[in-house]
Amino acid sequence: MSREHKRPPIVQIALLLAGLLILLGISASSIYLVYSLRQDADKIARTLEVENQIYVALLQVSRAESAERGYLITSQPEFLAEFTEATAAIRPAFDRLKQLTSDNAVQARHLNEALPLVDQRLREFSTVVSFVMNGQEAEANKIVQQNATRRTTTRIREIADAMRSEEDRLLRLRIAETNETQALSAIATTAGSGTVLALAIASLLLVRRSQRLRDDAEESLRKLNANLEAAVEERTKDLQEANEEIQRFAYIVSHDLRSPLVNIMGFTSELEELRGSIFRRIAELSAPEALAATPDSATAEARLVDHDKELVKDFDESLNFIKSSIGKMDRLITAVLTLTREGRREFKPDHIDVHELIEGIVQTVAHQADEANAKILIDPLPDVVSDRLALEQIFSNLIDNALKYLRPDVAGEIRVSGRQKSGYIVYEVADNGRGIDQKDHQRVFDLFRRAGVQDRPGQGIGLAHARALVRRLGGTLSVSSKLGEGSTFTVMLPSRWNLPLEGKTA
Amino acid sequence: MSKAVTIVMIEDDEGHARLIERNIRRSGATNEIVHFANGMDAMAYLLGNGPSGAARKGDALLILLDLNLPDMTGTEILRRVKETSHLKCTPVVVLTTTDDAHEIKRCYELGCNVYITKPVNYERFANAIRQLGLFFSVIQVPSAA
Repeated sequence: MSREHKRPPIVQIALLLAGLLILLGISASSIYLVYSLRQDADKIARTLEVENQIYVALLQVSRAESAERGYLITSQPEFLAEFTEATAAIRPAFDRLKQLTSDNAVQARHLNEALPLVDQRLREFSTVVSFVMNGQEAEANKIVQQNATRRTTTRIREIADAMRSEEDRLLRLRIAETNETQALSAIATTAGSGTVLALAIASLLLVRRSQRLRDDAEESLRKLNANLEAAVEERTKDLQEANEEIQRFAYIVSHDLRSPLVNIMGFTSELEELRGSIFRRIAELSAPEALAATPDSATAEARLVDHDKELVKDFDESLNFIKSSIGKMDRLITAVLTLTREGRREFKPDHIDVHELIEGIVQTVAHQADEANAKILIDPLPDVVSDRLALEQIFSNLIDNALKYLRPDVAGEIRVSGRQKSGYIVYEVADNGRGIDQKDHQRVFDLFRRAGVQDRPGQGIGLAHARALVRRLGGTLSVSSKLGEGSTFTVMLPSRWNLPLEGKTA
Repeated sequence: MSKAVTIVMIEDDEGHARLIERNIRRSGATNEIVHFANGMDAMAYLLGNGPSGAARKGDALLILLDLNLPDMTGTEILRRVKETSHLKCTPVVVLTTTDDAHEIKRCYELGCNVYITKPVNYERFANAIRQLGLFFSVIQVPSAA
């Protein structure tokens, strides 16, 4: 499922990138095509201008010719003015044409051919006109009648036609180019837009698909969550039942173990009672005459022969082992009973002034503290909502332990401190006592397990009990310690403990 | 002078029964002791064939009852004894290993007269039974009438 979830984004990013690139391409090609279209348009405009200029130049030549004829025939000054104006315009018209066609080799060649002819024609014009002005009309007519001038004009026209047809060719070419560019531009835009549209549709589909996948995932997550909650609830219930079962089991076992133990103890005592009688009887049998005088069993025992005395010793040893083992077993069973009974007790959340609670405990152990030459310091402690009796038991145990395992050569100092820590309250009971070896840090919390020199009375129950209580209160109990330097026991409790969904305790 | 009290001991553990009997005797009590190792036999003895308890009519009884029995609970026996017209005035001493507060309360509610937890320490156990024996030797009990 996670792979399916990862795929669409990558594809979508690729699609977006592709779309972006294509758009960029379209934009770039559009800009290029628009630019070249504008260039083409410029070229076409130039061509049209050139054609126009050719007409203008030829028009001026024709105008000059007409004026020349008119002047020749009428000698009227209007024609002369007209002529002067026209001839003055001819050369600039051709110069302009040359300027316009400077980039075109073919037209330049044509012009190079045409310009001398134009100059020649101009000279002919001025010759004719000056003849007319000087009254030599015959001379002028002669020149005009000559075919030379006509040929010049015709040649100029021919060249102009050639130039025009060249420009026409260019115009057609450029129009074709423009059309091509436009077609290309249209194709590029259409193709690009189409692709982008396709990509958009594809990514839309992908988005919809991933949306659907996400919806499905959300749906299944919701279902899973619901199931999980139910499963957790069920497990919790199972655990609670199992826990209660264990509690009941431990209670019944420890309880039922007591019955045979009473018998063992009882009959051991009975045996002990019998012991006197038995050995007295043995003494009687081995030396009846001496015993008749002294019926006291102690004296009777004293009279036993050596190997019978061995018997007494063995008998007593066995009996003592039995009795000490019974005592031990009795203490263990009592401890288990206490623990299970404690496990069955119902806790009640209560607002507790921990400082006051610790002071109370310190008062009850004041005598022990005096004897151990120890002082107990209480820092300001935050209050907590928890079970009062459980807290008393926990801290009593920790302070008891601290007092119990001080170093004889060092003045004892036990410090109880506390602080708040995000929803929890951390209490510490620190001592400068004998400390606990690193390897025993876990072991001290195990039931019936103890650590270090076994020179103090105890069953190895206190810390196991304390930890069980702290856990039931939703907290943790841990130790940090260095052998020979002291120990710090840390109790972390929820600052507001509430009854969890704990089933009823029997 | 009323009839000597018969002690009906309902105790499934033979060892306990022997120890109890021995210590009662050591206290000097000479009362007859009738022992039952299970609830059914005890009920049959106490109630006879019917629920009236007529079987023991006229007897002066004292019941020494253990709560942990193989076939029925001691509290059940206690309840039935106290419901029986001939037996309801018969003193019942519960002598058991259970020291559960709920159980103790329940027994007194059902009409038990004395509730004793068997001490595990034998000295104390023997001592308790001997005192009980002394008590048995002087106790006055109405006849089951």
